[in-house]
Amino acid sequence: MSSCGAPAAEGGEALMQKRQKYDKSKNCVRCKDNIGNIVVRHAVYCKNCFSPMIAAKFRRGVEPYVNEAPKGRRRLKASGNILVGLSGGVGSTVILDLVNQSYFAPRTDTPGGKEHPRFNERIWQKGFVCYVDISAVFPNMRDRTNEVRNAAKTYDALEFILVRLENAFDDSWWTSVGGKPSNSELFVDFADQDLLITAISDSNTDPVAALRTFISALPTQTAISQAIPTLVRVLLLYTARHLGVSHVLLGTSLTSLSISLISSISQGGGFTVREESDEQWMAPGSTTPIRIIKPLQDVGMKECSAWAWWHGLPVVQKEKLPGTGQDIAALTKDFIVGLEKDYPSTVSTIAKTCAKLAPKHGSVRRCLLCERPIQEGIDDWLTRTSIRSLSIGNTTPRFSTARLTPSLCYSCHTTLTSKSSRGATKSTSSFVRLPVWLSAGLQSAEYSMFQIPDERDQPAEKTSAKDTEVWQTRKIGQQEMKHAIGDFLIEDSGQ
Amino acid sequence: MAPRNCVLCEKNKAMLKRPKTGQQICKDCFFYVFETEVHNTITDAKLFSPGDRVAIGASGGKDSTVLAYVMKTLNERYAYGLDLFLLSIDEGITGYRDDSLETVKRNQQQYSMPLKILSYDELYGWTMDSIVKQVGRKNNCTFCGVFRRQALDRGAAMLGVDHIVTGHNADDIAETVLMNIMRGDIARLGRCTSIVTQGEDTIKRSKPFKYTYEKEIVMYAYFKKLDYFSTECIYSPDAYRGHARTFLKNLEAARPSAIIDIIHSGEAFEIREEVKATQKVQQTCRRCGYMASNDLCKACTLLEGLERGMDTTGITERARKKMEAEGPAPSNLRTIPFYKRTAGSPAVMIESSPA
Ligand SMILES: [Zn+2]
Ligand SMILES: [Zn+2]
Ligand SMILES: [Zn+2]
Ligand SMILES: [Zn+2]
Repeated sequence: MSSCGAPAAEGGEALMQKRQKYDKSKNCVRCKDNIGNIVVRHAVYCKNCFSPMIAAKFRRGVEPYVNEAPKGRRRLKASGNILVGLSGGVGSTVILDLVNQSYFAPRTDTPGGKEHPRFNERIWQKGFVCYVDISAVFPNMRDRTNEVRNAAKTYDALEFILVRLENAFDDSWWTSVGGKPSNSELFVDFADQDLLITAISDSNTDPVAALRTFISALPTQTAISQAIPTLVRVLLLYTARHLGVSHVLLGTSLTSLSISLISSISQGGGFTVREESDEQWMAPGSTTPIRIIKPLQDVGMKECSAWAWWHGLPVVQKEKLPGTGQDIAALTKDFIVGLEKDYPSTVSTIAKTCAKLAPKHGSVRRCLLCERPIQEGIDDWLTRTSIRSLSIGNTTPRFSTARLTPSLCYSCHTTLTSKSSRGATKSTSSFVRLPVWLSAGLQSAEYSMFQIPDERDQPAEKTSAKDTEVWQTRKIGQQEMKHAIGDFLIEDSGQ
Repeated sequence: MAPRNCVLCEKNKAMLKRPKTGQQICKDCFFYVFETEVHNTITDAKLFSPGDRVAIGASGGKDSTVLAYVMKTLNERYAYGLDLFLLSIDEGITGYRDDSLETVKRNQQQYSMPLKILSYDELYGWTMDSIVKQVGRKNNCTFCGVFRRQALDRGAAMLGVDHIVTGHNADDIAETVLMNIMRGDIARLGRCTSIVTQGEDTIKRSKPFKYTYEKEIVMYAYFKKLDYFSTECIYSPDAYRGHARTFLKNLEAARPSAIIDIIHSGEAFEIREEVKATQKVQQTCRRCGYMASNDLCKACTLLEGLERGMDTTGITERARKKMEAEGPAPSNLRTIPFYKRTAGSPAVMIESSPA
């Protein structure tokens, strides 16, 4: 649009500040005595002062979400149990350590120890650690369950729960966590923009096979890297509901929160931007919500690593999904981590900005796949802004088929339908089994509808310019236009 | 690739893969969906009323060249009843004026639309060339952006138009959403996805290409054989924005819908009420009458800095305070004429034929 490549450089926007030096002093800002060991946002801390600082931040991130005890003299009493989602990575390993240290382990440093009034009664009656193993998603992926189980062993006050990704397609798991068994298997056609649903009686009920079919039918690598954490999240939630949990704690650091915010926004998830940092989930048919808390969302990745290192925590190497790297989640991670090196305020700015946002409209429905609020009118918006059919307003629902699209949020709909620019578009329809909660949701009463490369232009020929010239003006000929869009032309049109 | 039939009309041979949807379609269907989506954008937002005088911000670049063509086409096809004008800003950049203004002047003839060219020199007493000579290559984007925005408003006031349409496309808007989040510019984030922006005293502005992909604009120009000029800085003035642009291109390559998905995100949220209350109130510049968030508008601050030889003034808050501390502006300072809206009655004679 504009000549300087800065289309919206209207009215002199703020320029980002480059890296700043931390405070001159080498001594810890807290005790002023010890030589500092770590820089946290321009302030130097020693090892001894660092841990209480992080632990306090952690509790400030948790306790405002817990009710006071009925006759509480400033004591807290949760309405249910606590569940820590453990992936084996740094953040979740640290949060498990912090939960244990703050709320379950007998304290040795306080006078009175276990008898200290604060620990007479636990805030949460029971604690769980839940690991969702995803190794079945592709053949040849390593099962890290034993390593993670061992890492969690030290925390014997918390019970270890194993869930597997294929449970999402497993009726017996679904009934074991209190789900209503569905009376027919529902399948969806990913090749269809409307996501037509069909009930098929299928003899092959192997959950691993169903999981792999689901994943391989997704249209992009981005969709795969988005679908897996979504399945993990919902599996955790239904597990938590079954275990009478009121608080689910996740080890998302400030760095990973910022990455997931930008990644989610880039995948159309703007409506649920708030859920990325603070979420309440109401299980279908339930009256008490489960709170999903990320108490490390103010703590950078570096500080999490320092905690894990100084406390000798066993971090289990994550296994990379095959084929990732060029998907939106991975691109966002590379981008933010790279940017943070030159502009260290980036991650906290992203989180702070997003904390000031709210969805424009209320929501009364949940997305049946990710269980987050749905924004209404998506279908219409899509047909107005990206025309995919010449018969507008004439989309007669095909007889005896139902559409999944109206039951999905924008982001999930995009995950299931948005195509890649490369390769031939899959046009053969492939019917894919749906996750158990989605089938159940479609059949429940509230959804009765089931009854019915951009090339930078190089400075070229026409330079009447001297050395001081800043701008370059060139006529763009047909050949060059063609070059810019060549990937999208099917054959020479002959003009 | 085996030639297939267009998935839309199912009659003609498919000639292109649509960047936005990945569908393989024919040329006629491409024109149809491209134009109809712009028409949908215009009608859904109720942008115009019959009889409106609308200026197209024309730079001779691809976006505004295609916008002028499409606006004329839709105005005739759907009988919008608009009086269309071309409004061009001459930044005063050697080598830029002749070529791109030539395109604009040709558009004036082809589309028989009146054209007004307003120059920085005439408005501010400075050309971009002379600004760059003084401030060097750093920060000139800030000057250019601030000056252009105000120049468009002033040009529109001279033409007596009700409305300016600009060629901002979906890529520009998606990039701006990301930039504003990363920079924490909450006020701009709140308004950057709205199709119409209007201050109390400024002319209504809108972006009919809000949902139009840059690649499809190039494709449209290619198939319609529209010529345009590309004008770009040859160095990267705001490295941060450059990073954001590259990132967006990578996202688009990973999944083409990313651009429209980001815009959808930007439309789905708003600034929380509690935060809105703390936003700065709009004022008017005491020197030139244009909207401002401080005592002086950005253009006047930048201009005063230039005139007094304090070049970074107005770019940062600190530099602005420093200039204020150095005492009041000299009385012989060159300033911008006072801004006054005169909608409906053109204050200038419009050039009727190209030079
Ligand atoms: Zn210390
Ligand atoms: Zn969803
Ligand atoms: Zn066609
Ligand atoms: Zn002013």
